[in-house]
Amino acid sequence: MGAAPASRDVTSYGMGLAAPLALFFLLFFVAPLLQLLWLSLHNDTAALHWGLGQYLHFLADPFSLGVLGSTLLLGAEVTAVCLVLGFPIAWLYQRVGPKLQTIIILIVLLPLLTSVVVRTFAWIVILGRQGIINATLQSLGIIDTPLKLLYTQFGVVIALAQVQMPLMTLPLITALGRIDPNLDDASCSLGAGSWRTFFRIVLPLSLPGVIAGCTLTYAAAITAFITQSLIGGGQMLFMPMYLYQQASTLQNWPFAAAISIIFLLAVLAVVSVFTTLGRMSRGYGGA
Amino acid sequence: MIINRRSLLTTALTLGAMKAFPGLSYAQARPLVFATFTGSWEEAHKAVLVPAFRKANADAAMVLDPMLSVDQIAKVNAAKANPPIDVMLHDPGPALVAIGQDLVEPYPVEKSAYYKDLIAEAQEPMGPAPFFQVVGLTYNPEAVKTPPTSWADLWKPEFKGRVGITNLNSTLGTGWLVEIAKMRGGSEANVDPGFKALEELKPNLAAVAANPGALATLFQQGQIDISPGNFNAIQILKARGVPVEFVAPKEGAIAFKTTIHIVKNSPNRELAFKLIEAALTPEVQTTLMNPPYLIVPTNSKVTMGGEIARVLAKDTAELKQKFVFQDWKKINEQRSAWIERFNREIKI
Repeated sequence: MGAAPASRDVTSYGMGLAAPLALFFLLFFVAPLLQLLWLSLHNDTAALHWGLGQYLHFLADPFSLGVLGSTLLLGAEVTAVCLVLGFPIAWLYQRVGPKLQTIIILIVLLPLLTSVVVRTFAWIVILGRQGIINATLQSLGIIDTPLKLLYTQFGVVIALAQVQMPLMTLPLITALGRIDPNLDDASCSLGAGSWRTFFRIVLPLSLPGVIAGCTLTYAAAITAFITQSLIGGGQMLFMPMYLYQQASTLQNWPFAAAISIIFLLAVLAVVSVFTTLGRMSRGYGGA
Repeated sequence: MIINRRSLLTTALTLGAMKAFPGLSYAQARPLVFATFTGSWEEAHKAVLVPAFRKANADAAMVLDPMLSVDQIAKVNAAKANPPIDVMLHDPGPALVAIGQDLVEPYPVEKSAYYKDLIAEAQEPMGPAPFFQVVGLTYNPEAVKTPPTSWADLWKPEFKGRVGITNLNSTLGTGWLVEIAKMRGGSEANVDPGFKALEELKPNLAAVAANPGALATLFQQGQIDISPGNFNAIQILKARGVPVEFVAPKEGAIAFKTTIHIVKNSPNRELAFKLIEAALTPEVQTTLMNPPYLIVPTNSKVTMGGEIARVLAKDTAELKQKFVFQDWKKINEQRSAWIERFNREIKI
C-alpha cells in the first residue's frame, strides 16, 4: 500500500474502500433479487417450466391490477396528508426559539423511537368502536352510534400518515433551514403579501425537501405490511398482503415473485417521477 | 506455521463472525430444533413439553424455534438435504402440504409406546396428533346476554355490525367457511353455499381480521361481540380479564388436528422421535390440559377435567361425538381458489 503516484488524476478515486459494501450489496441484495426474477419466470409452482405466465396472469387480471392501483393510491393519499400536515410543522420549526425547536423535534422524532407494532395497536385503540374518538363524540352527543373508523381506507391513511410523518418532516426541516430568511424580508419589502411570498419564494426553494420527503413517505407507506393489515383488516387487500398470501399461505412462490417484481417496478416508476421532479426543481433550488 | 497479517485477519474475522452469528457453526452436532407455533403454543411447550423431554433424555440439547406452519415448510423446503429443523408442528392443511412435498418421515409407529393409546383420529402414520385445536363460537357475555348455540346465530339481526371473522389465510377462517357451507348443504368439495352465506352475513360483519391473533384483540377493543374462535385463544383472553366465553355450537365444534412430524433427512432423528414420544405421554398431555394451557388431549388414557370437561367434552366418547373433523385433502385442492374468491367478494 505505497503512496499514490503524484501524477494521479485528482478526480479519480480509489474504489478499494467501497468494495466491501459493494460486495455486501451484490451478495445480499442483487443476488437475491436476481433469484427472485429467475423464480418469477416460471409457469408452475415447482419452478420447472419457463414462461411469462405469472406476469400475464397478474396483468390480465383486473382484480390484481386493482390491488396494485389501490396500493399506489394509498401511498399518494398518505403522502398528501403527510405533506399538508408536515409542512406547517417544519415551517414553524424554523421560526421559533431553540427551546420550542427542541420540543418540536422531539415530537417529530418520538414516533420513530416506538415500535411500529405498538403505534399501530395504539391506533386500534383510538379508532375502535369504543375507542377514544367514538367515546368522545358520543359523550358530547354529536353522534348516537359509533362511527366506523377502523377497517376503512380513512383509518389506514390516518394511521400510516402518523407512522410515516417523521420521514416527511425531517427533510422539510432541513430544506426550509437552508432558505435565507432575508429572502422573506426582501420579498415583503418589494410588496409581496405573505401568501405570495410563500408560493413564489418559500415553496419553490423548499422543493428538494418536499421531493425527498414525498419519496420516503411514499415508499414507506405502500410497503407498510403491519399497519395496512392491522388497521385495514383482512378484507382490505394491498400489495404486501397479496404477496404474503401467495408466498406463505399458498406457497405459490413464482406468482409471489412476479408480484414482487411488478410491485418493485411500479414503485421505481413512481420514485423516478419524484426524482425527475426533483431534478427540475434544482433550477429553483440553486438560487 | 508463520503467522502473517493476512492469516491473523482471517482468523479474527472468522471468530468475530461466529461470535456475531452464533448459528453460524458447522452443521454437525447441532441441538435438536423443534419448530412450534408462536404465542401460547410456545409458552406451553417451553413450560411443559421441553422439560419433560429433557428429563427423559439426559438433558439433551434442544431449541424451540417458533414460527407459522407455512414458514416451517418454506424453511425446510429451502434446504431439504440438510434441514434446519428436526421436528415440525402443523395444522391439517399445511401438514398435507409438507407430506405432499416429501418433507417428513413416517412416524416409527412400531417403536412408539404411546401411539396405540391415541384416539383413532389422532393416529396419523406420517406424524401423530398430540393436540387438538377446537373452534367454536366465542362471544362477549356482557354484550350477548343469551349464549349463542349455533353457527346460524351469527346471522341474527341483533348482531348487526358486531360479528368478527378472519380471512381464509388462516386454518380457522378456512375451516369455518367449510362448516358454514356444510350447514347450508355444501361440503369440502362445494363451498358455494358458504360464500352465499358470507354475502348475507355482510351487514353483521364488523371486521374481517387478518389473522386469528388480530381477531382475539378485537374482543379486547370492544370492536366485535361474537365470532368463530379458537378455544385456546379465548382462554388466554379470559385469563387476562377480558369478558369472553366459548361455546361449542350444536352443529359440532371444529377440531383441527395439530400433528407433529419428524423432518426428512434430520440429523437428529432419534431425539426427534423421543420429543414426539414425550408429547404423546399421558403426563405431558394431562399437564397441558390443565390451566393455563387448556389444550385438548388426544391420548385416550387422559381423563378430561376442568374447563375442557365443562365446555367441550367429559371423555373421549363425547369428544368424538361433539367434534367435527374436516377433510383437508379436499380443502387443499381448492383452497387457493377460495382465497382468491374471498379477496374479490368480501368487501365490507
